Amino acid sequence: MSISNSVSHDGMRTSMFGAIRKKYFATRTDIIVSSVLAVAVVWLLVNVIDWAFVNAVFGAGKREECLAAEGACWSVIASRWRIVLFGLYPFEEQWRSGVACLIMVIVAVLSCVPYFWNAKRLTVLWLSGFGIFYVLMRGGFLGLTPVFEQNWGGLALTVFIFAAVCILGMPLAIVFALLRRSELPWISRTMGLIIDTIRSLPLLTIMFTFAIVSPFVLPDWAIGDKLYRVIVGYAIFFACYQAEIIRGGIQALPAGQEEAAKALGMGYWHRVGYIVLPQAFRNALPPTINQIVITFKETSLVTIIGFFDVMASGRAASGNAEWSFAHVEVYFFVALIFFVFVFSLSRYGAYLERRLGVGRR
Amino acid sequence: MSEHAILIRNMNKYYGSFHVLKNINLEVKRGERIVICGPSGSGKSTLIRCINRLEEHQSGDIEVMGTMLDENVDHIDEIRREAGMVFQNFNLFPHMTILENCTLAPILVRKIDRVEAEKTAMEYLARVKIPEQANKYPGELSGGQQQRVAIARALCMNPELMLFDEPTSALDPEMISEVLDVMVGLAEDGMTMVCVTHEMGFARQVADRVVFMADGQVIEQGEPETFFENPQNDRTKTFLSQVLGH
Repeated sequence: MSISNSVSHDGMRTSMFGAIRKKYFATRTDIIVSSVLAVAVVWLLVNVIDWAFVNAVFGAGKREECLAAEGACWSVIASRWRIVLFGLYPFEEQWRSGVACLIMVIVAVLSCVPYFWNAKRLTVLWLSGFGIFYVLMRGGFLGLTPVFEQNWGGLALTVFIFAAVCILGMPLAIVFALLRRSELPWISRTMGLIIDTIRSLPLLTIMFTFAIVSPFVLPDWAIGDKLYRVIVGYAIFFACYQAEIIRGGIQALPAGQEEAAKALGMGYWHRVGYIVLPQAFRNALPPTINQIVITFKETSLVTIIGFFDVMASGRAASGNAEWSFAHVEVYFFVALIFFVFVFSLSRYGAYLERRLGVGRR
Repeated sequence: MSEHAILIRNMNKYYGSFHVLKNINLEVKRGERIVICGPSGSGKSTLIRCINRLEEHQSGDIEVMGTMLDENVDHIDEIRREAGMVFQNFNLFPHMTILENCTLAPILVRKIDRVEAEKTAMEYLARVKIPEQANKYPGELSGGQQQRVAIARALCMNPELMLFDEPTSALDPEMISEVLDVMVGLAEDGMTMVCVTHEMGFARQVADRVVFMADGQVIEQGEPETFFENPQNDRTKTFLSQVLGH
């Protein structure tokens, strides 16, 4: 597929076939490469469609037909999707878990609306969304049966960990970044040392330390549930990376910005809140989105310390004798869930970049 | 109230071991317009930036509007509120509209309500002749327009004096006069001004006193006529022949 002939020489509008010929079939090499690739793509598509649709079995409870069929067994999803999405959450109460997830999705969609684009509104939106999520999941009031954290699972748990880490980690990251830039050398150096230390440790080690080791060290009142210890550990890990991203955004600002704010008599917090951070976040938007995407995906590490996130519950869905042959389909489903979340996140990031670019130049 | 807008006594500044400003003495009376000139590296920008503590001096006294500039943060804030500053590179806030640039500090620092602050801002924008740009972003304006906004932004704080740090040096030649016109207008209204600039025409026209600096020292100062027609010091003569020579 050559890019050399993508401009038409006569400057006239060519027909679609003409354009395709010029772009993909201009030279002998182009013809060979394009044809081979086209055949490969078609072959792949035909096979996937055959497997996923034509020869597939849909509808709940059709185990026998699945075993006989050549294609995908979507019947496993139809029968077991509630385990994937909600894990060990009590069956009759799973609607709460569903509504809770839906609310977080709504919060995420709402934060794409320009009306919410200031620090105050975003904070209120996310904190109240998260509050409703927690209350619904946990229950114990208005006749909702209490469901304790150890019974949370599936997609709801993944969303909970992700949202909690971001809500806790982002303010922490800002604090870390500001301390790192302190004019007092011993503060900035200490912060730098802490950040570098935590960044040089694997996330898994940190999760283990907070989940398993920290109870031996912490006073009783500070131990809390294992889930929250993991979240705190993950949030600190997130904050260390994000702090460096924010610091990079701050350092990209011309020195004149802060000087102008100083010359207008603005104090430290006004300068940080109105001049430095808004511009730093704009500069740092692409790596920030990147960090958030990574954070969402790496929530699946909690499986290893015994949490029932969407990965683990996916494995459980195909983990019994009845459906064990269909694990590929379940992993497909889990992958699809991750894909939907992460892909929309990155598209939203790309949109933000374009939108915030307006007015800069 | 002190009759002096700025009083600098025996002021010294070092960058590490490098002695940038040597024993500076300078008085600026209220309503007076001072132009500071001199070859590059002579410390004129550093001097003007010491007046509102963008740079810290190591010894000597600086008093602005009767407030002593010392370690006390309240004093520093007080002085910064009363001394507007215009920079060579405009330093407008690119993420805010022109109007927001002009109203931010009055609202946050002077605690003026938004409606009032916007009214004042529009008045000053009209005075620098760009009220129609109020809702644009700095990046959409030309250099000359941006610098006029920067002047309006400083004026919105209702300062007692204005500091200009080479306000026309970063501008394309055809935009210099529109900025100088605004500055001349300010001078005619009686604003106390300290202006670091190479625009000798401007100095002749509005300055009450021209201060010549070289090597971190004040070499010579005087009224524009005497200063330009009859400079005393050899360095002043050399400098003047270089800037006026062509």
